[in-house]
This record gives sequence, structure tokens and C-alpha cells, in this order.
Amino acid sequence: MAVKKLTGNDYLFEIAVFLATSARGCIDEPPLYGPFRLLDALSKLTDLPEYAIGLNPDPFLKEIKAIVDEKKFLVMYDVDGFQRAIDEIVEKFAKELKKRYLETK
Amino acid sequence: MDVFEAVKGRRSIRRYKTDAVPKELVEKMLDAAHWAPSGGNIQPWKFIVISDRDLLELVRKVSPGYLGEAPLAILVCSDREKEYRIGGALGRDYLSIADCAMAVENMLLVAYALGLGTCVVKSFSRIAIKEMLEIPDDIEPELLVIVGYPAQTPKPPARTPLRKITSFNKYDQEFLTSLEE
Repeated sequence: MAVKKLTGNDYLFEIAVFLATSARGCIDEPPLYGPFRLLDALSKLTDLPEYAIGLNPDPFLKEIKAIVDEKKFLVMYDVDGFQRAIDEIVEKFAKELKKRYLETK
Repeated sequence: MDVFEAVKGRRSIRRYKTDAVPKELVEKMLDAAHWAPSGGNIQPWKFIVISDRDLLELVRKVSPGYLGEAPLAILVCSDREKEYRIGGALGRDYLSIADCAMAVENMLLVAYALGLGTCVVKSFSRIAIKEMLEIPDDIEPELLVIVGYPAQTPKPPARTPLRKITSFNKYDQEFLTSLEE
């Protein structure tokens, strides 16, 4: 097998595999691994513009990805901190939503 | 390295350097693993060393718990049929897992003493892993050990104080310890 450069379709397929295997895992795994996998999926999705033609890098999502990648491991040793980190991320999304869909109109 | 130093210093590593892991170090890890205790000395373990880059990438894709890009992984499997034949249902359903876990711990401590980082992963798709690595029906993938040179030094996570998890003679009778916690 030779390593090839990922196309947008390859990367989408990779995320699909991640989601399918995570879905099966979530049946047996600790409940908190569910949000952990969703955050990991969010992080992976923000990389999609690197591979898919027609999508532009989104600075806000890049910022979110950095936070997710830094904070997601809190699930292993600080559940409260993990929850706070998700709350902060959701709050950032809420502010960004307002900015994108209300303030520009 | 002192055993206790390895026990206390080992961390789960999730960021690795790209340097390859020399085969002789892998052999030392496996040697330590197969000297682990096992119920009835059944030694149910089977090890699959995965260093092929493409294959490793496929394994990573079907293992949501495989974080970071390590150059090597060792899949620890149990021979459930052998466990049942010698150890009965207890062997097949419980000892096989415990035995493999003890082998893995040996592996982790030796890896740490050799300057390697490791992370144990159970979050993988067993169906997909069996397909990728052509594992027969009676062999069960138990734990995936990711191996590489660490690119991070995680802080030690908090531990429940010893006195809270230990009783003296009878359950919940206080265990006094002079160890600082």
C-alpha cells in the first residue's frame, strides 16, 4: 500500500469511519466518552477545508479546534473541568452565531 | 531503573515523535509481557506488532481511542479457546482479560524504563481490527498498546489517597499510612 495525499472525499470517508466506530464504541464505553468523541469529531471536521475544494479555512473554527484539542483530555482526570470547557466552547459558538447571523443583518 | 520509579513515572502518552522504535526495544517489551503471571499459567496472550505505516494508519482510523500518531502499536490478544479448554468459563470470561492486562502492565513499565512512551487503548472496533489484521475467530483483541518516543511530558493525574481506598483487616477499618499524599 502506498501513502497517498488525502482528497476531500478521502478525508470525509475517514471522518465517517471515525463516527461509525465511535458509535459502536459508545454503546459499551464510559458515558463521558460520547461527548469526548463528539469533540474529537468537531476537531477533525474543522480540518476539512484543508482537503476539500471549495471550502475556506474558518479562523473561528480553527480557534475552537485549538481549544478542543487542548481541553478534551480533561475527560480523563477532571470531569468538572471537561464540562466547563464544553460550556465555554458552546458559549463561544453562541456569540459567533449572533455575530454571523444577527449583527450582519 | 528502579521499579517504583517506573511505576510512578509512567504516563499515558498521546503525542509522539516520528522516530522509529528499534526492534530490540520492542523485543524487550514483549519479553517482559510474556513473563507476566497468568491464571493457571495458561499464558493466553498473542501479540501482533504493527509497524507497517499504512496498516497502522488503517488501525488508527478504526480506533477512536488511538490519539496521536505513534510509529508502532502492539495488539494484545487472548486465545479464548485455549483459556476455555484449560481454565473453563472463568478462564475464558475473566482470566483472559486479567492476564492480558498484567502482560500489558509489564510492557508499559519496561517501555518507560527504555525511554519509550505508551498509551493503552481499548476504544477500537474489534470487528474492523479483526478484519484488518486477519485475526481468526477464536482470538480476541483485548488491548492496543501505542508505542513511540514521547513528545510530551504529561503531569501526573491526581490519585485517590491510599487511606481512602485501603482497609485494615476488615472492610472500612481505617488503614493508617505514613506515606505523604
